[in-house]
Amino acid sequence: MKKEDTVKLISAEGFEFVIDKNAAMVSQTIRNMLTSPGSFSETQHGVVRFPEISTPILEKICQYFYWSLQFASGKETEFYIEPELTLELMMAANYLHT
Amino acid sequence: MGGACSRKRDQQVNEETVLRGVNGKYSKSSSSKWLRTSFRLGVDIPQGSGKCPSLMELCIHKIRKDIDAYINKYKDFTMLPRDISQQIINELIDSHCLTEVSLEAFRDCALQDINLGEYPGVKDSWIDAISSQGSSLLSVDLSGSDVTDSGMVPLKDCENIQDLSLSYCDQISDNGLKHLRGFSNLTSLSLKKNNSITAQGMCVLSNLLNLINLDLERCSGIHGGLVHLKGLTKLESLNIRCCNCITDSDMKPLSGLTNLKELQISCSKVTDLGVAYLKGLSKLVLVNMEGCPVTAACLGSISALVALSYLNLNRCNFSDDGCEKFSGLENLRVLNLGFNNITNVCLVHLKGLSHLESLNLDSCRIGDEGMVHLAGLVRLKSLELSDTLVGSNGIRHISGLANLESLNLSFTEVNDSGLRKLGGLTSLKSLNLDSRQITDTGLAALTGLTGLTHLDLFGARITDFGTNCLRYFKNLQSLEICGGGLTDAGVKNMKDLTSLTLLNLSQNSNLTDKTMEMISGLTRLVSLNISNSRITNAGLQHIKPLKNLRSLSLESCKVTATEIKKLQSTSLPNLVSFRPE
Repeated sequence: MKKEDTVKLISAEGFEFVIDKNAAMVSQTIRNMLTSPGSFSETQHGVVRFPEISTPILEKICQYFYWSLQFASGKETEFYIEPELTLELMMAANYLHT
Repeated sequence: MGGACSRKRDQQVNEETVLRGVNGKYSKSSSSKWLRTSFRLGVDIPQGSGKCPSLMELCIHKIRKDIDAYINKYKDFTMLPRDISQQIINELIDSHCLTEVSLEAFRDCALQDINLGEYPGVKDSWIDAISSQGSSLLSVDLSGSDVTDSGMVPLKDCENIQDLSLSYCDQISDNGLKHLRGFSNLTSLSLKKNNSITAQGMCVLSNLLNLINLDLERCSGIHGGLVHLKGLTKLESLNIRCCNCITDSDMKPLSGLTNLKELQISCSKVTDLGVAYLKGLSKLVLVNMEGCPVTAACLGSISALVALSYLNLNRCNFSDDGCEKFSGLENLRVLNLGFNNITNVCLVHLKGLSHLESLNLDSCRIGDEGMVHLAGLVRLKSLELSDTLVGSNGIRHISGLANLESLNLSFTEVNDSGLRKLGGLTSLKSLNLDSRQITDTGLAALTGLTGLTHLDLFGARITDFGTNCLRYFKNLQSLEICGGGLTDAGVKNMKDLTSLTLLNLSQNSNLTDKTMEMISGLTRLVSLNISNSRITNAGLQHIKPLKNLRSLSLESCKVTATEIKKLQSTSLPNLVSFRPE
């Protein structure tokens, strides 16, 4: 995997998730950060910090990104959501336009 | 004959859909109640439809499924931002999972919309949780609920409400209305079908200075109450349809409402005298006077309305006398003159209405000679000639109306030779040829109309041979052939009409289970009727793939209700209406 094809998402606790750029771009918010010309430092370094999103939530979100890509390619499986994560996950999803 | 009558009723014009398209909130009628309660149930995340659900949708879906567990764990949703709790409650309402208990979990969530229109079980005890949203609340729909006057008391704290619907709440009276006094931000108020409201109670309306839309349809006791609208100069839309208490004197207070754009007074007692009060309302775009005892003399007042583009005069007992005044209504785009006593003489005066896009002449005493006057109305998209004396000779005059999208020739004198003249109307999408004179030959003349989406050949004498033409109509969404001449061999020619959502083949008594096999690939079908045929329980098995089916009619067949119910529970989850039942 070439470095420019990946992005690093960093959780509130500093945990780093390196994922495919096209997976991360499932989120409209991240897509805007990575594609808007110039201004965002995220665009240049491919690193996005989420000081408001905890590690388990960010992990779940990354799983969703990949699940969503699979879904789009025709593999329609069920995406499991742990009840105890739901509310926090929603707030993150709201922020990420996901 | 019974069938024919019921079909006629469906063709009535509905102003709300004409002007606004299908608008959810304020266009609900009581008759749609069963649809909502039945169809919304069990709506699931779309599977196999290609669109990926967002993470937000998945979470909301999850909460809806396990709502009780979430409420047990979190007690309420106040910790969520408003836009999220709003989405959760919307989902619960849409899927009919909201209960009085789960509503409590949304107490003090600062919600903006609580739209419980037609929602089952809503009563006074729900209102406290609703009004706890306080000044955040902007839109409330309680239509069709059992809310009473006492339910209105807590609601008065929500003084920012802009949209309020209390339609079909027949337990709310003048006393309940009093609590609307402080609703100075209210722009839309709907009180449809309330027989307890009187002129006295309506005095509260004079406080609602920002009101733009007011709906009092089918309120039978409001005579004399419209005086309280005098100061509501922002009012743009007033609906008092089917208020048979409304008379000429009720029109007087409307004369100063110069911002009115839409006025519906159909089925009231308003006469020419009352219409005269409307002369100054120069912004009126729509006037609906269907079924009012007015005559052509009112056209003098109407022609002063320079902005008028939509005029409904169906069922007004118009005769030709005074009809020359129609020529002054040059800006009209929609004119309904159906069920009037007018003849070809009147049609002369429509000649100059060059902006007309829709003309309804249903059941008028018009014939071939009158059609020549329509020949120049080239913008016409919709023409209704059902139940007139128009025949094939008249049809040639409309053969040049290239923009026609909808043409109704049911119960006219038009025969096969007349249809040959329609071949050039390639914009046609909807064509009604429900008439015994039409046969296979006529249908064969129409194969160039490949854009047709709706074709009604209900009573036409179409045989298996004629169905060969159907392959030209690949876009058909609805098809009715009920003349009795079809066998299974004819149905075979419908196999490729995969866009069909409605198929009616009833009265073809020779159709057998083979027909069911033949249509099993029409998976978009929502409504299927093959009553009066030889279909048996065995044939039912073939329609298992029709997962979208909501309505199935197999009356007078060898099919039992028990078998249909079995099929419903195993294979047809969307089926809500079926015969025999």
